Amino acid sequence: MPRLARSEWYDLTRDMNWTLAYVTEEQAWPKDLSNGYGVSTEQWWTWDEPYKITYPEYVHNQAGKDASVYAINAVVNRSKLFEQLDPGWKSAIVAHYGAIAVPEYVAGIGEARMGRFGRAAAWRNMATYGTLDETRHGQIQSYFPYTLLDKEPRMDWAHKAFHTNEWGAIAARSLFDDMFTANDAVSTAIQLTFTFETGFTNLQFLGMAADAMGVGDLEFSALISSIQTDEARHAQQGEPTMKILVENGKADVAQKLIDHMFWRSWKVFSLLTGLSMDYYTPLEHRRHSFREFMDELINKQFLDQFRDLGLEKPWYWDDQYQAEQNWLHHAYHLGVWFWRPTVWWNPDAGVSPQERDWLEEKYPGWNDSFGKYWDVITKNVRADATENTLPETLPIVCNMCHIPVCTPAGYNAGFLNSPDPHILDYKGRRYTFCSEPCQWIFEQNPARFQGHESLVDRFLGGQIKPSLHPDFEGGTITTTHLAGVLDYMSVSMEEAGQDATDYAWAFEERDAAGIEAS
Amino acid sequence: MTVATRLRKTSKTWSMFGDVKKKPSPYEVVTGKFHYHFRRDPVPFEMDPDVPLNRWYLKNREGSPFQVDDWEQFRDPHKLTYKEYISLQKSHETYVDGLIDQFEDSNAAEKLDEGWVATLAGLYVPLRFPLHILQMTGLYVAQMAPSSYITNCSNFQAADELRRIQRVAYWTKVLANAHGDHLAQTGSARDPWENDAVWQPLRKVLEEMLIAYDWGEAFTALNLAVKPALDALLNWQFAALAASNNDRLLSQMFTEFQHDSERSQDWTQALTKYALERDPDLSKVLKGWLDVWEPKAHAAVVGLAPLFETAPVPMAAGDVVSEVGRRYTELRSGCGV
Ligand SMILES: [Fe+2]
Ligand SMILES: [Fe+2]
Repeated sequence: MPRLARSEWYDLTRDMNWTLAYVTEEQAWPKDLSNGYGVSTEQWWTWDEPYKITYPEYVHNQAGKDASVYAINAVVNRSKLFEQLDPGWKSAIVAHYGAIAVPEYVAGIGEARMGRFGRAAAWRNMATYGTLDETRHGQIQSYFPYTLLDKEPRMDWAHKAFHTNEWGAIAARSLFDDMFTANDAVSTAIQLTFTFETGFTNLQFLGMAADAMGVGDLEFSALISSIQTDEARHAQQGEPTMKILVENGKADVAQKLIDHMFWRSWKVFSLLTGLSMDYYTPLEHRRHSFREFMDELINKQFLDQFRDLGLEKPWYWDDQYQAEQNWLHHAYHLGVWFWRPTVWWNPDAGVSPQERDWLEEKYPGWNDSFGKYWDVITKNVRADATENTLPETLPIVCNMCHIPVCTPAGYNAGFLNSPDPHILDYKGRRYTFCSEPCQWIFEQNPARFQGHESLVDRFLGGQIKPSLHPDFEGGTITTTHLAGVLDYMSVSMEEAGQDATDYAWAFEERDAAGIEAS
Repeated sequence: MTVATRLRKTSKTWSMFGDVKKKPSPYEVVTGKFHYHFRRDPVPFEMDPDVPLNRWYLKNREGSPFQVDDWEQFRDPHKLTYKEYISLQKSHETYVDGLIDQFEDSNAAEKLDEGWVATLAGLYVPLRFPLHILQMTGLYVAQMAPSSYITNCSNFQAADELRRIQRVAYWTKVLANAHGDHLAQTGSARDPWENDAVWQPLRKVLEEMLIAYDWGEAFTALNLAVKPALDALLNWQFAALAASNNDRLLSQMFTEFQHDSERSQDWTQALTKYALERDPDLSKVLKGWLDVWEPKAHAAVVGLAPLFETAPVPMAAGDVVSEVGRRYTELRSGCGV
């Protein structure tokens, strides 16, 4: 091996900061692509990554990681492992691939933006590795579901989801476009790498990896743990960017960027991770509840990181965020299950008697609040009246997070003072928000969001043709009354989500339950 | 073929690929149709239509004159996925490690002629600055490209620049240990880059290239003008100069970098051919851009060529310029422009 230690020559790979002579700074680092927030060029040049790596180290490490993960895929493909997985768990990974694979790939655009418009050579180098990492994550998380297409046609959504107007895809696209594809380099470092990758990917990638091990999904576990090792490295572009902002009197800028993106990430991850952990993962393999993972990975670890950098927890932390953690994902779950034809996976109700006991234990009061809705649903299912458990119209969706507004459920569960959504009339248009922070994000920067139309705006505006024939076929799910909407969402009748276990949970008796251990 | 068979076949690949006759290769499966935002209705990104980045992409990507109906049929001639790129470069880096081991074992840096070291100080040490701009522009082309097939090629190319810079930096430190610490100071690279007349034409074209924001123009300036000229100057002429001055390590190292440059030229030729086959009129667009960028790239080579005359065993500046010109013409005709 070459004799010089990395530390002896590393600085020569990252000192390529120079003064422009033939073009102006504003031309080469335009504010729209790189908002320097008024910090001087020389200050930006002090950007110092906590994690050092060289290109030869990178290719050696990554080759090893890829080889082992793809080897597991090859073995699993020859086995019956996938077929043996629990149906709820399959739904969790079908949802994961659709929501994550393509965004990971386009996170490479965010990284490449920092690699071009980052304000220091050291940063641009780190972002170059980040670009490669995200290419890896996009490719590997497409390849694996691709190899499962024969066994699970819904894996097509790993590739297709972001090309559609399925409502969850709109919500995720709105989040990720705001976060990186349509964001400037400096804000991307704070919002993608610090807020999202340091905070929330831990939740999905470490938390779900733990559950995957329990479930016996070796492939998924190995895959996402391997990805997380890359995230942990390139997420470290956020901290030095934040330090420079804070040291140069711009803590308020960093704080706002975080408050904005933390809330948006929370919404989408309570939808994705919340449902997967607390309802889709088989009971016997749940390592922790979603709330417990949140407490450990976000509310403790991530909050400590804010504070170490001299920032405060977001303004909505105590009143809105803490409260929502008690109810939001339960409401989302209820909504997703009810509107199941509109999602690309099969929602697992996850409310058998023993699962309800678990929910009550993890979320005291669950039976009295959310359990009541499930009582009604269970009754209908048992009475062979599943048509009553299916939607006929669209829900109201939030003009910020683009997830259905669930305030009545939060109110009924005792966590909100009012069941009403938040309404804002702005420049002649009415906007609806699920929460005060969603409205606050809008009001911070209306120009970023005002001309965008939510799914419901499009429906009311006539872009989505409502279907006129509401006919049911017994207990099977043929939601022709939603056909127009499903069409718009590119969800075919075969793909439309169904109850993951064909309502088995509704017929489980408390007495017979205890034996379920195989 | 019966309908049933066709259905079975198509069900095995991504529905977004449409009705494909041939089963997509693993490369295609993980590369095709990832840019959901390209020509998306109504705007690329799920935001207010007028946010700066929506406008930026509509202007510089969807609005570029370098446009064909369908970019998705373009293929990287090397068909590199991330996994294959990494394993390819791992083997190339292992080779370079071996080279360095060999020359470190023989104390090659210490044995270099002082006159040659002086040439290196002027010609080699500053290189990380211009090469870094090639890296930056590669990432710009990648983030703006209309197809993920193109994006990936450009991302890998940018990473290749990072690779070359790091090896240049490593050996700069080795030279500094043998011939004086000043060689490893930032100023020893930045001062000539910012102040020496010979570097200014290169600095000028590179800084101007940074703000060529139309994606087609950025691709043309980088891959059809500036990079091929600079690659020919370094990977061939500088490698030859090093060899004749007994610096076999740098000679072999830059010869090795030529593998990366060839890959860049391969996809560049493939992409221009692809575009011209679909719309022959695009040659006017490319020519228009090349009329701007080629003279600037040429001026950069002319600017640096006198440094080749400072070596103990010199190379005539005129020869350097004409050799680079010859290689450049080869590439350009390979592209059909
Ligand atoms: Fe990632
Ligand atoms: Fe919201």
